[in-house]
Amino acid sequence: MRRPTDAERQEWEDNGVLFLENAIVGEDLARLQTTFDRCAAEARREWLEGIAKGTRPAAHFDIPKPLEKDDVFIDLIDYPGWYGFLMDFADEDLILLAPQVRTLPVSPISYVGWHPDVPHTTPLHMKVQIYIEDVPANGGAFGYVPGSHKPDAGPCPVVRPLDSMPGHKVYPGKAGDVVLFNSYGWHTSMVNRTLKPRKSIIIIYE
Amino acid sequence: MPIIDSHLHVFEKLSDEFPREVNDQCPADRAETAEKLLEVMADNGVDQAILTQIGGAQLAHHRYLQHCLKTYPNRFRGIGLIPRDEWDAPEDHMDRLAENGDIIGFRINEIGGPVDPLSHMDVETFTSYRIWKHAAKKNYVMWLYIRAKDAHQIAFMVRAFPEIRAVFNHLMICPGEEMFSWDDEGRPHITTPIPPMTRYSMLGLHEYPNICVHLSGQYAFSQEAWPYRDLESWHKTLLAKFGADKLMWATDFPWILEDPGYDKLVQVIDELLPDLNAQQKAEIMGGTAKRVLGFPGLAD
Repeated sequence: MRRPTDAERQEWEDNGVLFLENAIVGEDLARLQTTFDRCAAEARREWLEGIAKGTRPAAHFDIPKPLEKDDVFIDLIDYPGWYGFLMDFADEDLILLAPQVRTLPVSPISYVGWHPDVPHTTPLHMKVQIYIEDVPANGGAFGYVPGSHKPDAGPCPVVRPLDSMPGHKVYPGKAGDVVLFNSYGWHTSMVNRTLKPRKSIIIIYE
Repeated sequence: MPIIDSHLHVFEKLSDEFPREVNDQCPADRAETAEKLLEVMADNGVDQAILTQIGGAQLAHHRYLQHCLKTYPNRFRGIGLIPRDEWDAPEDHMDRLAENGDIIGFRINEIGGPVDPLSHMDVETFTSYRIWKHAAKKNYVMWLYIRAKDAHQIAFMVRAFPEIRAVFNHLMICPGEEMFSWDDEGRPHITTPIPPMTRYSMLGLHEYPNICVHLSGQYAFSQEAWPYRDLESWHKTLLAKFGADKLMWATDFPWILEDPGYDKLVQVIDELLPDLNAQQKAEIMGGTAKRVLGFPGLAD
């Protein structure tokens, strides 16, 4: 199991975000991709029915209860490519909150603006975003404002458009790359301007 | 700054002079006239209003609306409808209704693209495309009360025609299938989660400069009596995202005359957005509508 280097730990503390290349590769990645597509296909009809009724969002497609669908999703919770980092950052005290197995359709706008997930008055949340396929910078990549997780950073400004946020960084990646981030920090999903939906899995820990 | 009720309906009893469709909500002998509206507006300090067509989309169905606009030219502006079977070639219908300049836009409830958000989106194949294209050419306003299954398509159309002034009716809520019913007073009621799931497809539209939202229709979505406290958080979200200069207050007259009463709807913004400053409130209560929709001065 990988553990962060001193430099990586410093980067996490300074920026609140860490990008890990090739965190999951080979057969593990291939199995994850196949399972993602199969489970998404099985859940798609119910999602479309929910969209028509207004009870499910059209702007992102989450496979419901993924941990009940296939063990491959359970295996991600303590996957060696990132779990050692999270344990280190959380002083070995970590619990799983939820996974989101998410497809992001192409759209001229993002489904979410810049935001922190939780205030500093609640326990730290950390998230792992796993890219299932290659995600270019204009393909709904993860965006973060490095340093915005710090208590004295203050709120980020309301901006239009999304990519005018001062100091933000976009994290494109290859299939199997992972972004770890402190969810006190301001983040978003950048606009997917490609012709291809983005596939990723977000695992939320506390 | 004028007070402008930016979305409501008037209609006359069914007659040869003013033909219209008839239903349980608008039976042949029911009239909710412009004169009745003006009286209640005067009682509540409201200056002007948008009359949104009801009772059919054919040209003849618009006669009472046109009569009201002609009779009270400095008080009203109108929004027309387009028959569904004319969407393939709507231009003549739109231009004939708008030729006097007092019908300023058109209301639709369908975008008409792929229901599956993972499909390829080509706006030129959407059923409403020619309406949008002509609206852009003639500077007509688009008045939108869109189905939930079309919500994800709107951003593509707005991107294609960013110059169009588009006004989302009734809190930007997009009704879902099988979620429509009639309340005890014969008014539409929409069962929808609050905040609506369609927010993920809609709130990002604040990035476009010509998108406005009505603060109206609360009675149809709330599970509570006036002042509809369960909608307070959603009002605040719309304010935070779009700003007061993109929000328009409206009553949806006549459906609110008995419950809770027109006077209560005039107060609903104070109730649900109590922290507005004077400038913000003036924008929502009429300034935005005057600027965006081009209302004349009262003395004109």
